[in-house]
Amino acid sequence: MAGSLIDIIVFAPLAPIFGVILFWFIQLLFIENLKYLLTKIRDNHEPLCRFTNFLGILFQTICHALGYTVTKSGISSFYISVNYGKVAPKREKTGVFEWMSNAFLFIGPFFIPSTLLLIYLFFLMDKGFNIISTTNYTFSGNLTAFGENLYYFSEGFIGFLSNIDLLHPAHLGFFILLIFLGLGTRPSFIGEKKPEKVDMLFDLKNIRYNILHKPLYIFILFLIVYFLSYISFLFKQNWYVTLFSILGWLSIIAIISLIVAYLIIILIKLTDEIPGLWKLLPYITIPVSYLSMRSFFLYYPYSFSKSVSILVTIISTSLVVFVLLKYRTNKFKTKVDIKSLMKLGEGEKDGPR
Amino acid sequence: MDQDELLENEKVEKILSPHPLSFIGLQSLCMFLIVWGVLIGWLANFSDLKNLFAGYWVIILAWGLVLLIVGIIASLITIRWRIFFLYFGVFICGICLMLWMGSLDSAGIFIPFYMVAISIIGFLIVELYRRSHKYIISSHRIVFKGGVITKQERTLRYDKITDINSKQGILGQIFGFGTIIPISQSGFGLGIDNTFAAGGVQVGEKKVKFLGLFGGGKEVQTPRTRSYYELHGVHPYKEIKKIVENLVQGSVITPYQQEQVAFQKEQVDIQKQMRDLLKKQSGQNEEDQEIERKTI
Repeated sequence: MAGSLIDIIVFAPLAPIFGVILFWFIQLLFIENLKYLLTKIRDNHEPLCRFTNFLGILFQTICHALGYTVTKSGISSFYISVNYGKVAPKREKTGVFEWMSNAFLFIGPFFIPSTLLLIYLFFLMDKGFNIISTTNYTFSGNLTAFGENLYYFSEGFIGFLSNIDLLHPAHLGFFILLIFLGLGTRPSFIGEKKPEKVDMLFDLKNIRYNILHKPLYIFILFLIVYFLSYISFLFKQNWYVTLFSILGWLSIIAIISLIVAYLIIILIKLTDEIPGLWKLLPYITIPVSYLSMRSFFLYYPYSFSKSVSILVTIISTSLVVFVLLKYRTNKFKTKVDIKSLMKLGEGEKDGPR
Repeated sequence: MDQDELLENEKVEKILSPHPLSFIGLQSLCMFLIVWGVLIGWLANFSDLKNLFAGYWVIILAWGLVLLIVGIIASLITIRWRIFFLYFGVFICGICLMLWMGSLDSAGIFIPFYMVAISIIGFLIVELYRRSHKYIISSHRIVFKGGVITKQERTLRYDKITDINSKQGILGQIFGFGTIIPISQSGFGLGIDNTFAAGGVQVGEKKVKFLGLFGGGKEVQTPRTRSYYELHGVHPYKEIKKIVENLVQGSVITPYQQEQVAFQKEQVDIQKQMRDLLKKQSGQNEEDQEIERKTI
């Protein structure tokens, strides 16, 4: 065991907490980016935005209901629509129970949907759930263990995604859920009208209020966390880092789902610029290229057939979008093109010579 | 709506059809056929469990069993046995086709293609059914038209509408469509939800047998009618709802207006009485003048 006593007692427990906060903050930034992109396509894709809104509200109301169930407040009414969700408790509880149900409402949507996906992933992914055992119970030791746990999980998860078999019902189901999670981690807008926007600052304000409103509860929570850390240290087990590593995994799942959703929204935004029925071509390219590649590899087996099929799908779709944007719109006009267009314009102005 | 179908001074406000996704219940029956067909194909040919599906009868048994169980569940939930019979028909037709074509051995390949083909036909029928609906909202009435083979029509005057029920599901909220049921004074547009509970008791095995049935039922009236007789899945829902409500409101006489009509009737009666009185008086004057002339 290395490290000073102060490091072990005071600073070591903080390491994974900082790690989780950092990943959670990255998740918030990705959510903000997705929301910004959604506002850009809102005018043309009102139903899609309503759908993402619904998903967000659904996750939020489920978390709220879960909060009331955990605190034994009971649920008297559960209402959900595209614009609004409401959960009312059977018994109004105050104090720590109220604080806990609020915590579920504000923080739950960031982690609980990812938890469901993590459970699903547990049955599909065969590696990545390794927990690194540490002997160095210091700030740096805990941080390294936390980072390594996250690294192995990320490696496994990205490896799984790049080898995902979209012709396998369970894998396809997981991929669809991943997209849904990305689209609805938090609502894009609450309410039918745009101005009533729920952004990152709104979330942070709520969480800050929840923390500052009852500082005693936060203090107790920290005491419990530190207590768990000391128990882990005394028993020479890394339960403490494992617990926070799972929270980190949840953040990673959420971040990757947000990236996937972001790519889909970008595709929608780009195809909006293509006129006429040509805009459907990229969407047709996706299944056609994937199925063609899978059929090809059925007759010519190759060990990386799934990842190559996905890669070909991505490249061919990007290429189709690029070609359509270049030849069907004014995008990607080169300097030479613009100059020749300008000359042509001047020639027309002067008239034939 | 043809011009000759319109009444005097009648103006057409809107001509509507149901939204393509408003028959999602029927479409999901077809979707299930695709999903299950593809899944059984995958299980029999590509999955890790394909050894389990080695014999063709196992594939057919699994396929039919799931199809019929889902049919029974869907029928019980929607209280429509036609779903079960539909799936049963699909199953029987599939077996007959396989026997006729002699492709029982390749059931694992035949079933997915058959299911996809059947569901495509199903989607087309649903689309035909949807397109057969036409709702005409005019200044005087609502005309509901429909029917693929037998044409049906319902005309409802706004003053005969007592209630308007409207509903919008999640899909409707996302895509902006919904259903409006105008309930007439005769109760057209109202359905009944029935619940019934029953239990049986049997006492004794050989000699004494007792069978008792204990049951109870409850009825609740609820707005429900065929899609031909309601504004089913109309888009844009909110706008249509407002138009219908305004038109209904415009044809209903409010209590204040009723008072005014009664008052005006009273005034007319008084004026009639006065006119009669004046006529009588003028008649008497003429008689008096004649008598005077005669005496002179």
